[in-house]
Amino acid sequence: MDKIKSRLAPVLWYAAVLSGLLIVLLPFAWAIASSLRPLSDVFRYTTPFSLRALVPIPFTLEAYANIFQKDFGRALLNTVFVCAATILGGLLLNSLAGFVFSKLRFPGKSIVFTIVLVTFMIPSEVIAIPLYMVARNLGILNTYAALILPGIANGLAIFLFKQFFDEIPSDLIEAARVDGASLFYVYGRIFVPLSKPAMITAGLILFLFQWNAFLWPLISVSSPAHRLVQVAMAYFHTENQVLWNEQFAATVIVALVPIMIILPLQRYFVQGIAGSGTKG
Amino acid sequence: MYAPFIAYLFLAPAILGLLIFKVYPLLLSATESLYQVSFFGQQAKYFVGLENYRDVFADPTFWQSLKVTLKFNFLIIPIQVALAVALALLLNKKFKGVRVFRSIYLLPAGVSIAIACTLWSLMLNPNSGLLNSLLALVGIPRQPFLTTSSQALWSIILIASWKGVPYWMIFIMAGLQGIPESNYEAAAIDGANALQVLFKITLPLLKRTLLFVVVVNTVSNFLLFVPPYMLTRGGPESSTNLLMYEVFKSGFIYNDMARATTMITLLVILLLGIVAIEFRWLRAEH
Repeated sequence: MDKIKSRLAPVLWYAAVLSGLLIVLLPFAWAIASSLRPLSDVFRYTTPFSLRALVPIPFTLEAYANIFQKDFGRALLNTVFVCAATILGGLLLNSLAGFVFSKLRFPGKSIVFTIVLVTFMIPSEVIAIPLYMVARNLGILNTYAALILPGIANGLAIFLFKQFFDEIPSDLIEAARVDGASLFYVYGRIFVPLSKPAMITAGLILFLFQWNAFLWPLISVSSPAHRLVQVAMAYFHTENQVLWNEQFAATVIVALVPIMIILPLQRYFVQGIAGSGTKG
Repeated sequence: MYAPFIAYLFLAPAILGLLIFKVYPLLLSATESLYQVSFFGQQAKYFVGLENYRDVFADPTFWQSLKVTLKFNFLIIPIQVALAVALALLLNKKFKGVRVFRSIYLLPAGVSIAIACTLWSLMLNPNSGLLNSLLALVGIPRQPFLTTSSQALWSIILIASWKGVPYWMIFIMAGLQGIPESNYEAAAIDGANALQVLFKITLPLLKRTLLFVVVVNTVSNFLLFVPPYMLTRGGPESSTNLLMYEVFKSGFIYNDMARATTMITLLVILLLGIVAIEFRWLRAEH
C-alpha cells in the first residue's frame, strides 16, 4: 500500500501542477500568438479550436506597428517617465527616512513611525476621491506631478529600508562623526552603497505601484497627452472592439514589461511582497 | 550624536509626502461626506451634517450595490484563500522542476488587475473566445460568461482569482517556510497521516500568516473596482455593480462628490467591522 502511495504521489503532483500551469499560461500564450496575426486571421484557429491557435503563423508585427501610430506609444513613454521619476525620487526620500528611523534618536520618533506604518495600510482606492480634491486644490490635475508625487513617499519602502539599515552596525556613524563627516555624507557614502538589495526591492515596489496603477491615473488626468499605459489599454479595449489583434498587442506589451523585469529579480519581488506581511 | 534637527530635516520630504497624499485625504473623505457642494461654484460648499448619509440610505441603488458587494466577497474571499493555501502546499513539495513551476505561477501576481481583465475578457468572449472553443471540444455548449447576469459575477471571481491566488500564495509560501522541519519529523514518528499533519500542525502554525492574508484579501476585494469598470459597467442588470464602482460613478460620472465620499466612508466603516470580526474569529480558534 505504502509503495503504491509513494509511486502515485509524484504522478498526482505533476498532474495537479501542470493543469494549474495551463490556466496560468493559456491566456498569455493565446494573447501573444494572436497579437502576431493579421486582423483577418485572429480567430481563425480558435473557433473551432486547433493547436495552431497558439502558433502565430502567418506571422506579422502589423498590430504592434499600428498601436504605436495611435496614442499607445505616447502612453508608453508617459508611463516610463512617471515610473522613472517615481523610482528616483522614491528611493532617495524613502531610504533617507528609513536611515533616520534606523540610526537616529529624536523626540516624537515612535509617533512618526506609527504614522508611516499606518499609511502603508491605507489602500489607494480608499483615498482616490479625496486625493482628487487635494490634487485639484494644488492645481496639479492633468499634469505629470499629479501622477508622480503621490507615488513617491511610500510607507512600505521606508519600512523595508529601516529593516535593512537595522542590520548595519551603528558604530559606522559614530566613527564617521568623529572624523567630522556630515550625516548626509555618512548616508550617501557608507549606507547607500551597502543597501543594493533594499534599493532593488524598494525600486521594484515603486515601479510596480506606478506601472500597475489604474484608478488614480484614470481620474487624475483626462487628456490623452498624460494618459498612462493601463488606462490607454482599457480605452483600447472598450473603443477598438473590432481591432482584436491590436487589443492583444497592447495587452501583451503592458503585461510583458513587468514580467520581464520581475523574472530576473524574482527573489526581490517575493521579498517585497512578503515583507509587507512580516510586520503583521 | 547628531542634533534632532537633522533627523527632522532628512525625514521631512517623505513624511510630508505621506501626510499630504495619504493621511490628509483619508481624513478629508470623512469630513467631506458632511458637506454638500452648492451649484454656484466649485469651491462653495455648506455643512449638511448627516444628510448625505440619509440620502444614501434612502437610495435603493446603494442597497443593491451593497448586496452585490457582500455576495461577491462572501464567495471570493474563501475561494482565494483556500486555493492560495492549496497552491502553496503544492509548490512547497520538493519534486523535480518545482523551482521553475514556482516562477511561472508567480507571473499573474506581477501583472495588473487591468491586464487580468483584458486577457480574460478576450478569453471569455462568447463568440470568439478561447474558453468557449475549448468547451466545445468536450461537448459543452457556448456560455455567455460576462454577458449574462447569472454568470457575470462568477466570471469576475475567476478573473480576480487568476491574479489573486498566485499573489496570496506568496505570503502563505513564506509562512510555510517559516515552520521548523522538526514539527513534521515529530509527526512522522507518531505516524500522523497527511490530513492530520495539515490540520494539526501546518494550519495552526500558519495562523498568523492566514490572519494577515484573510484581512488584506478582504480589504482588497471589498475595494475591487477595475473589473466592473472595464468589463461590465456594473451590469448586466446591476449584477456586478460593486460598491467601489458605484463610488467611482457617483464621483466621476454623476459628478456627485458628496455621494462618493459618503459611500466610501460607509465602505471603510463596513470594512473595519468585517476585519474586526475576522480578527476575533481567527484569534479565538484553537
